[in-house]
Formats: sequence, structure tokens, C-alpha cells
Amino acid sequence: MGERVYIFKGFERFWHWAQAGLIMFMMLTGFEIHGSYANFGFERAVNYHTIAAWTLVGLWVFAIFWHLTTGEWRHYIPTTEKVLVMARYYSSGIFRHEPHPFKPSQLNKHNPLQRLTYLGVLLFISPLIWITGWLYLFHADWLAWGLSSLRLEWVATGHTIGAFLMLAFFVSHIYLVTTGHTATAHIKAMITGWEES
Amino acid sequence: MGLNSLRQAAGLCLAGLLCLFSANTVAADAPRPLKLTTTADHSKFKELQREFQSGPDVTKACLSCHTEAAGQIHRTKHWKWEFLNPVSGQTLGKKSVLNNFCISVASNYSACTSCHVGYGWKDASFDFSVEENVDCLVCHDTTGIYKKPPGLAGNPVVKDTELPPGSGKIVKGIDITKVAQKVGKSSRDTCGSCHFFGGGGDGVKHGDLDSSMAAPDKELDVHMDATGLDFTCATCHKTSSHDVAGSRYTPTAMDKEGAHVRGKEDKSNPATCVSCHDNTPHKKDERLNQHATKLACQTCHIPEFARGGVATKMSWDWSKAGERDAEGKQITRKDAKGRIIYESRKGAFELGENVRPEYFWFNGDVNYTLVTDKIDKPDGVTRINWLGGSPTDGKSMIWPVKVFRGSQPYDPENKTLVKPHTAGNDDTGYWKNLVWDKAIETGMKDAGLPFSGKVDFVKTEMFWPITHMVAPKEKALACSECHSKNGRLAGIQGVYIPGRDANPLVDRLGWGIALLSLIGSLGHGLMRFAARRKH
Amino acid sequence: MKITKPLTSIALLALLGASFSASAYDADWKRGRIYYRSVCTSCHVALPVGSINPSAKTMAEWSGYMQADKHAKGKDTVKQYVSKEYRASIKSANKAAEKFADVPDQELLDDIKAFVTKGAKDGEAPASCS
Repeated sequence: MGERVYIFKGFERFWHWAQAGLIMFMMLTGFEIHGSYANFGFERAVNYHTIAAWTLVGLWVFAIFWHLTTGEWRHYIPTTEKVLVMARYYSSGIFRHEPHPFKPSQLNKHNPLQRLTYLGVLLFISPLIWITGWLYLFHADWLAWGLSSLRLEWVATGHTIGAFLMLAFFVSHIYLVTTGHTATAHIKAMITGWEES
Repeated sequence: MGLNSLRQAAGLCLAGLLCLFSANTVAADAPRPLKLTTTADHSKFKELQREFQSGPDVTKACLSCHTEAAGQIHRTKHWKWEFLNPVSGQTLGKKSVLNNFCISVASNYSACTSCHVGYGWKDASFDFSVEENVDCLVCHDTTGIYKKPPGLAGNPVVKDTELPPGSGKIVKGIDITKVAQKVGKSSRDTCGSCHFFGGGGDGVKHGDLDSSMAAPDKELDVHMDATGLDFTCATCHKTSSHDVAGSRYTPTAMDKEGAHVRGKEDKSNPATCVSCHDNTPHKKDERLNQHATKLACQTCHIPEFARGGVATKMSWDWSKAGERDAEGKQITRKDAKGRIIYESRKGAFELGENVRPEYFWFNGDVNYTLVTDKIDKPDGVTRINWLGGSPTDGKSMIWPVKVFRGSQPYDPENKTLVKPHTAGNDDTGYWKNLVWDKAIETGMKDAGLPFSGKVDFVKTEMFWPITHMVAPKEKALACSECHSKNGRLAGIQGVYIPGRDANPLVDRLGWGIALLSLIGSLGHGLMRFAARRKH
Repeated sequence: MKITKPLTSIALLALLGASFSASAYDADWKRGRIYYRSVCTSCHVALPVGSINPSAKTMAEWSGYMQADKHAKGKDTVKQYVSKEYRASIKSANKAAEKFADVPDQELLDDIKAFVTKGAKDGEAPASCS
């Protein structure tokens, strides 16, 4: 106890929270566009969703640049090492108050399961949402782009699948925040940058 | 002759000269009043400077200068009431088709032809080749006083006349000479004198055309706004050789031709929105132009019809006609607003104001159930006309439509619709006698068609695409009107509408996964909580 | 007498001609209709008076009303509400007033008179407002 590690840098924390806010807002507006409920009204929901999407694009441009120039992208390289250990911890150890098998450090800030999950989000959910969202946004230009046989229904359905996966990720993510060394350790780390262990 | 009188004369003369002089100076200061909207002030033509006794009398004078005009009219639907649909091969036109309003022209000529662009069509023997029987005034009146009451076969009343004869009601004669001397271009008032009153009364038939459109404000119609753009009908229904563009028999549902431009040969319909606005009219939002590849402009820009304060008929049940009061007289019932909803001679009506249209895929094909066609399903609904179209034919757009529903007489033995004799002050006219079989016998005989003598009623529908009463753009439909579960396009197939449509399997699985992760998280948390307590 | 008679008649004709050319304006009932509905009626609808159909009065009554020029039982005049000044004062909120801003007062008055006369109870085409 008392050992403090500086894990999340300033930009990273800003990126995380800005992205969190945007994604929550886009789920809120997105599922309204989907017809799940009425809140802003369809037209405003679409406009807000679009603005949020462009903002997220901007944020990502900076984030990608940051990851590449700082080498932080390495934190998302998957590893099989300790995956089983982590899985065993979450499924039994955690209930027996065994110590957390993973100690985050500046060089290795994500545990192996996190790495896998985030990579999955990055490689599967994000592209699905981005590509379909992009097509959705530029529906008017499909003909000019030679996409005459593409159907809005497929694109919309793909986008919806991505949204549901994101929602499931979001729910789990919120919960797993509480599974640090203490219930608030993770969230504190994402706010202050320092993780106590 | 004294000096005094000479002086008087000189004085008067001087006064006269002064007057002339002063009048001249006024004239020199201000240019003389000049009409700038036309090159011809017809009141100055000597051909028109006499008393006219009748419509044909006026027409003869018109034709003395406008030598080709009558011949041009003779070629049109307005004159012939006949139209051969080149696609379906059906012979249409008012003379042939029937509808579910007043049903049919046959045997009712004198009443119906009050809206014929001619004089004297009182029965099937009318001679369509007579030039002086063309009615110039009904389209070219500018005084607003020219009227052709029903029952006179298209003739106006030029002297005070008892009408119908023996009724004691005097119809005042119009000053046809004044009308003739003041002729000018057609206007909303002249076209409207028939087209506003189709179906037997103000606004009855179309729903998007009624007397409120004579001088509408911008809210009612952005183009015809009398204080703004002030379009006449002919601004869009651009007419040459007296043949008015635009048709209900072969409408243009999808206009791929784009805007009409001077110097470019444009043979397409000049009365479409696209013929002026082109196919990409939305400058700010490309997404709306994308909408316009599937939606007719009218769908969003005419949110409701019958918006001008005049109700339109929405249904007409002829089977309820024929009631009489205790004294055996015909009755009339009105609704709370004083509008007629029942007449013994016509049956029961439903009226509507600010009516939301129904929507259909429409490719411009309009087919009719003619009086010679067999009715397939007498128990179901017979569509008197129906609109062709599908989401996949590449020619259809989603259109707003007034669907007019009714119930009308048919012949259950021959399985055909019938043409009853309604108007007419005689022994068989239904409106006077309220007896169906006699009325139908007369009507069918006049049309040269068989009738079994049996009468029953069949439910019918007619489809009237809506195209007038274009609202200001701020009043165009909001997205959510269609992008919602039970929106306006709830019944439209073949197009994916976000907010309305969703893949049910994806939705079920998606919510399932989200719920599972929630339950999983909660369960896991609960177990942790329980485990902590144990220790 | 042989000389004076034609002279007198010439003088009279000249007088007639002068008065005729002064009132040669050919009233436009359609312009009158727009002004009547957009300006007169738009106000009357809001006030307790309610809208007044042209067919509510006879031609003689309308003629008398226009002649007397008493609006609101004599509180002000009809002319006042047709005047250029009045049109200028409401034109920002009234499209008809804006459109006809430069029409001479007398012409517009004649237009309105033509409209109500035509649509009067006993006029050539009795009109109720819609």
C-alpha cells in the first residue's frame, strides 16, 4: 500500500473522458435515431449525433497522432501471458480477496484481458461503427461513389450491431472500473493519473 | 341674338378652352393611364363595342380576330372531355369515366356541362365541330361576374331568368357585354370557376383546390400567394395553342428532365416542381436532395390539404340517399359547423379540413375501372382509379394522395358500375324522384349500356394525388413525421426509414447482450459483496 | 343661336372630357380584394367586430359607406386606412400593404370599392369571405 504509479498522462485522461462523454451522448442520440425512444426529437438527435461524430473524428486524429508519436500504441499489443491468470482472478480469486495478479506500470498499464478487449473494440467494434457511420452520413453520395447496389438497410443494421456491442462494452466497462485494488482505484487513476496499489 | 348671348357664348367658349387646356396640361405632366400587362385593351376594339345577346354571339366576335383559337380549343381535353391513355389504351375523359362523387356525365349533360368550355352540350348529339360554341369567356373573364349555372348546358344567364323553371327562384342575368369587353389572361379565378368546384361544390373533389386559392396567402400556397409571388395557374400549367399542360390521366410522377431552360428543348411537363426547381433544390442539406430521389416534393412540402378554411369531401355514401321527412320532402342535415353532411338526393358525406394525406408509391400510371369493366369483388372495395407504382420499378416516388371513399350504385347482375341519371327536372332524375332503378335505366340507356334493373351498392375508392397548397418551407414536414414508429409513411414498403425500421433480430440480440452484460456485472458485484461480508 | 349652340356643346363636352379623363382609372377589383382581405379583414377578425363579408351590405350601402368615409362609427376615416401613410406604417408586418405601398390612395380606394360593389348583397357576384 501507498505505492503510487503515474499511469495515465494528461492527454490520455482528457482523451478518455472526452471520448467517454461523446460515446455516451452518441448512444443516447443514436438509439433515439434508431427509434428506441424519443428525447430530442429525430431531427435534433440526428444533428447532435452528427456533430458528436465529427468531434470524435477530430479527437481521434489527435489521439492517433499522440499514440504514434509517444509509442503509447504498444499498450494495445495483445499478449496471451497471464490471460488465464486474469480470467481465474475475475471468476474466483476476486471473491476470495486474493491480491490482484496484475500491477499496472507506466510501461504496462493494461492488464492482459484489458489489452484483448480494447484491441477487440479497436479492431472490430470501432471499424464497424466508423465505416457504417461514415456511409450513413454520406448516403447522398453513394451513387457518385459508385455504391449504387449498397442498401441503407445493411449499413443501418451494421451500425446498429456496432452500437449494441458498444453498449455491452460500456456496461461491462463501467462495472470493471470497480474491480481495482479498491473499488475506486481505477476511476481515481483515470482522474488523477496516479494508481495506488 | 343680342350682345349678351354672344358674350355668354364667348365666355363659355373660353371656359371650355381653359378646361381643355388644363386637361391637356394634366395629361402632359402625368403619362396617360396605360395598361402594362397587355398590348390590347379589348374595351377599345370596335368589334366588341356593341351589346351581346349570348355566349356564341361573343365568341363570333372573338373569332373575327382570333381566327385559330376555336380550332385550337377543339383539339383539347377541355373541349372533347375525351382522352385516350396511350399506356393502358383506355378511353378516358369526363365523357367516359365515372367517379364516386356525382358519378357520371351521361344523361346529365345540361348540369355537368356548365363546366364545359363550350355552349349548348345538352345531350349526346352535341356537335363538337361548331366554332362559335367554344366558350372564350369562361377562361378569359377578368370581371369575376361570368357564371354558368348548372342546367343550362354551359350557357350563362344574360337576362334575369327563373331557374329551375317554375321554382320561383330568379337568377340575375350577367352583363355579358361588359365581360366581353374586359377579357384578359386566364387567372386563378377563371380556372377556379370550374376546378375549385369539381364534384359539385367548393373544394369537394380535389382537396388541394378550392375557392380559398383564388387569393391565397403565403401560408396556404407559397407560389400563388396573392401578396407575394402571385402565380396564376398558367404560370406552372404553361399553355400553348390553348392546350393546358398537366394531366390527371397521365401525371408526371418522377421528373428526370430537370429544370426547363430557355434555348433547351423541353418537351416534358412544365407543371412539375422539378421543371423550375430542378432535382437538387436543397442548397443547405444534400441529405434532403437524397430524400428527393424517393419522395415527391409534394410529400414533405404539402403537410396537409384543405388548409384554406374550405372543407373537402372525404367520403360519400350514396346508399344512404333517399330519406324523406314526415311530409315526404327531401331533407338536409348539417354538422356543428353548418356544413351539409346529408342530403336526400345525394346521401351521407364526411368532410375534412387540414387533412393529412395518405401516401403511396406512384409511377404516373393511372388506371380506371370503367363502366364496361366487370367488378371482381362486389363485397370488397372497387377502386375506380388506382395508381401504379412500386419501390423497385425505378419510376416511382412516394406521393401524397387524397383517397376518396364512397359507396355507390352498381348492377349486381351485370356486375358493373352504373351511370345514373341524377340531375334533371324530369320523371327519372334521381335528385328529383329518389328512385334508383328508373334513374339508372335512363342513365345507362343514354350511355348505350345494358342494365339488369337490379340495384345494389358497392364500396369504391378514388385516388387523387395532391400537388397544390404548397406550404412555406418552414412548414414542410419535420423529420419525425416519417422517421418514427407510427409516422406518416408507416405503410410504405421497400424503403429503409431510420427511426421506423429496425432488424428485429438484431434488436433482440443487441438488447439481450446489453442486458446480459448488465446482469453479469450485477451478479459478479453481488457475489463480491457477499464474499466480503463472509470475511 | 346658330353659333352659340355648337359652341356651348363644345364647351360642355370639354368639361365632360376633363372630368372623364380625371377619373379614367379602371378599378382593379382583384387588387381591392387582396387589400380588403389582407388589411381590412385581418384587423376586423381580431377585433370584436369580426370579419365583414362584402355581401353583408347592398351596393347602395357600400357606396354610402365609402362616400361618408366614416370608419368605426366616425371615430376615424376609411381613407386613413387606405392611405400611403397607413400602408407605410404596417408594411413591415403586412405583405399586402408592402406590395401596394406606392399605389395612389384614390386608386386603391377605387379598387376596394370595385371589390365590395361586385361582391355586395345585390352585386354582380355576391361574395362571402373565405
